[in-house]
Amino acid sequence: MDPGDDWLVESLRLYQDFYAFDLSGATRVLEWIDDKGVFVAGYESLKKNEILHLKLPLRLSVKENKGLFPERDFKVRHGGFSDRSIFDLKHVPHTRLLVTSGLPGCYLQVWQVAEDSDVIKAASTIAVHEKEESLWPRVAVFSTMAPGVLHGARLRSLQVVDLESRKTTYTSDVSDSEELSSLQVLDADTFAFCCASGRLGLVDTRQKWAPLENRSPGPGSGGERWCAEVGSWGQGPGPSIASLGSDGRLCLLDPRDLCHPVSSVQCPVSVPSPDPELLRVTWAPGLKSCLAISGFDGTVQVYDATSWDGTRSQVEPLFTHRGHIFLDGNGMDPAPLVTTHTWHPCRPRTLLSATNDASLHVWDWVDLRAPH
Amino acid sequence: MCGAGFGHFEWLAGGGAGQDVGRSCILVSIAGKNVMLDCGMHMGFNDDRRFPDFSYITQNGRLTDFLDCVIISHFHLDHCGALPYFSEMVGYDGPIYMTHPTQAICPILLEDYRKIAVDKKGEANFFTSQMIKDCMKKVVAVHLHQTVQVDDELEIKAYYAGHVLGAAMFQIKVGSESVVYTGDYNMTPDRHLGAAWIDKCRPNLLITESTYATTIRDSKRCRERDFLKKVHETVERGGKVLIPVFALGRAQELCILLETFWERMNLKVPIYFSTGLTEKANHYYKLFIPWTNQKIRKTFVQRNMFEFKHIKAFDRAFADNPGPMVVFATPGMLHAGQSLQIFRKWAGNEKNMVIMPGYCVQGTVGHKILSGQRKLEMEGRQVLEVKMQVEYMSFSAHADAKGIMQLVGQAEPESVLLVHGEAKKMEFLKQKIEQELRVSCYMPANGETVTLPTSPSIPVGISLGLLKREMAQGLLPDAKKPRLLHGTLIMKDSNFRLVSSEQALKELGLAEHQLRFTCRVHLHDTRKEQETALRVYSHLKSILKDHCVQHLPDGSVTVESILIQAAAPSEDPGTKVLLVSWTYQDEELGSFLTSLLKKGLPQAPS
Repeated sequence: MDPGDDWLVESLRLYQDFYAFDLSGATRVLEWIDDKGVFVAGYESLKKNEILHLKLPLRLSVKENKGLFPERDFKVRHGGFSDRSIFDLKHVPHTRLLVTSGLPGCYLQVWQVAEDSDVIKAASTIAVHEKEESLWPRVAVFSTMAPGVLHGARLRSLQVVDLESRKTTYTSDVSDSEELSSLQVLDADTFAFCCASGRLGLVDTRQKWAPLENRSPGPGSGGERWCAEVGSWGQGPGPSIASLGSDGRLCLLDPRDLCHPVSSVQCPVSVPSPDPELLRVTWAPGLKSCLAISGFDGTVQVYDATSWDGTRSQVEPLFTHRGHIFLDGNGMDPAPLVTTHTWHPCRPRTLLSATNDASLHVWDWVDLRAPH
Repeated sequence: MCGAGFGHFEWLAGGGAGQDVGRSCILVSIAGKNVMLDCGMHMGFNDDRRFPDFSYITQNGRLTDFLDCVIISHFHLDHCGALPYFSEMVGYDGPIYMTHPTQAICPILLEDYRKIAVDKKGEANFFTSQMIKDCMKKVVAVHLHQTVQVDDELEIKAYYAGHVLGAAMFQIKVGSESVVYTGDYNMTPDRHLGAAWIDKCRPNLLITESTYATTIRDSKRCRERDFLKKVHETVERGGKVLIPVFALGRAQELCILLETFWERMNLKVPIYFSTGLTEKANHYYKLFIPWTNQKIRKTFVQRNMFEFKHIKAFDRAFADNPGPMVVFATPGMLHAGQSLQIFRKWAGNEKNMVIMPGYCVQGTVGHKILSGQRKLEMEGRQVLEVKMQVEYMSFSAHADAKGIMQLVGQAEPESVLLVHGEAKKMEFLKQKIEQELRVSCYMPANGETVTLPTSPSIPVGISLGLLKREMAQGLLPDAKKPRLLHGTLIMKDSNFRLVSSEQALKELGLAEHQLRFTCRVHLHDTRKEQETALRVYSHLKSILKDHCVQHLPDGSVTVESILIQAAAPSEDPGTKVLLVSWTYQDEELGSFLTSLLKKGLPQAPS
């Protein structure tokens, strides 16, 4: 009996639901459009890449009488072609527009998702302040009445561009050349940034550049690379910012005091990460204090940070998704590496994860601590 | 479709109303031959809309004359369900081709379906049992990779399609033009069937279903997992699982799956299948063992198909046994027989589960419960309350977007035609196919006609002597500047040869005749004819720089092989007559010279 079959039997106990797909090309993006569809996009440098709008299998989307819906397949609802590799994709809420970023990093591409056909067409471009050859600008979208695109590869090149008028409505206006690793819009006037060094900041766009930040040389400063995500913003006290380093360290911070992490733990992962740019940490939208991390190997790990305080240093994941290792490789190829993951907006324990060998999994894990 | 201006491709009223419900029936015209591909029933309709509209085919209704043959790809009703109607009620007497397993299994399904329609739903205007039998008498069964001559010009060949037992893809060939029709196929092997395969046959056109072309399929492993999980959870809580199956469909696949996992998980819960199922299935699988995959063939040699360690023959008494169990029973749509009996016993307990593995025809209990009905009216106005869990699982093996690309990559057609697409345009898919595979892609709507121009090539052998002669004339042939070659085309026994005229005459035993034209051009010239000739020579020499112009000792002028002689008619000394003479081959130059000379000669300097 092959190990794939073995793992499948194990999986009966570990997952409520489990789907595995083979995309035509690996993706580093998983961007939701409502709760029924995601965008994926290729990142190859030598050939044309596809951007796909995938509708989730019906069986995942229906709430009642699930048993009567046999469909377990993704439907390609829209598709488009890109000559550039795509490392980031954001959907502009309430529109049919997408913004993507890739290499070379001299401009952002705006796409139009057609209404009467299944085509995603390149619509226009947004020039970036600094022409970087090897860095690609991070992108986030202000979904206000007049949507604005926040982008930048470095702190000094951060700006917000009004999507319609193409006027720059905000710039960081600093000379700091630190490289950015993530950008996140928090509300109509606030965004968060995380630099590759671990430096974090919260910026109010109504003021001149004066972010709340952790000026200390970062939680590590041994040459690690960091990324971060802000969880439920404005929903009460407590650590809502998670920062993940390529050495496996995970820090939780309270936005009121970025200089002193609430907790700092070591995750049991194989270090160093083979590609620190792929590191990703996310907060579960439907579970209190739950986080997921990926980018170290072919697994996604879920943690419950409820009882983490300054005392804990070693932690164990609540759940580890190993499906990509067992189902996808055939033992001959190098082990897969998870490129990205995301939580389902409505189903509390459902995640999507993708790897560099073009697989895409949708999995609903079982919390083994819960009473049966 | 097909070039030389004749033939066209027509897409007959096919296309489903969404989901897997649809009907296949395609008419292809290729080099003057007309072939019908599949003859399916639309399962979603109850009236005449379920049959294709055959009046599309030919106005005067003489189908047997018009159609050269009908080909059926596999036994699913949406591909063969309208066949008896077509042959016995509409009136087609020509040959019907299908593979051996399809021929064996089709009549069973057709009869089952007929029973449901007529006996259960009391429909009129439906084909009878006798019609099914008469229809099957017109069937010519074919083997895989066997070239079958339908007539002296049309030939067909079947390829393995996976999907279900006996399913085939067909290549239809007339001369150098061919079409491949895939029917339904699967590019990944499963536990009892292999994957579809075709060679690099490079057809002009590949016709394939596009129902799943825009899907990305969940892996087989995950589907199996879903099935196992449902079964396992039910038996763990003490419930019973009923799986209504068709003997030759997915039953085999699911049995192998359960057996494998019962062994692995060391489960003791009994699994049964009804004996009717084993006998029939065994009989057919024995007959058609080459159609299953490698693994099955190996094990079959050792034991019979249904000799499992954990799966035993069912006895109707077992249905009343307490405790958990799993039962595979026929028929597949819960419309009669053992599966319905068991269903009635188990329906009232919410711990139990029924797993429907496929589409159910309207009117059956299967269809009703899949539509969400929980109170069923049985015979004698008895109402059955369905409390057991109902699960609909799709085990059908279809190629998705990736699979279609794979098959197109194998066959290397010039063009691809996708049928059964949804109403909204599939522009992205079309672009993808055209870009990645470098083929043209067509997506006709119902009733639409697609015409594909092709350039058939006719090979002609050129004789060595002729080639040598041409080469000897000097310049080598240039791809950009075609050279005119004179020869004689001999067509004999579908063979084309180009030879020199002399050789042709010799071969055919004909005498050679020379054809020469002579034209008289009158010129006003008072001088002697010798001088006129000289003037002609000078004039032509100065104009025709590219040609060989000579003045011969006897006074005549030659331009290449054209002869010009000047003569003086006795009546009028002021007029000279030029006799321009040329052979048939020099017609062009001869005419040119004649018009030139008619314009007159330039004034000679005195």
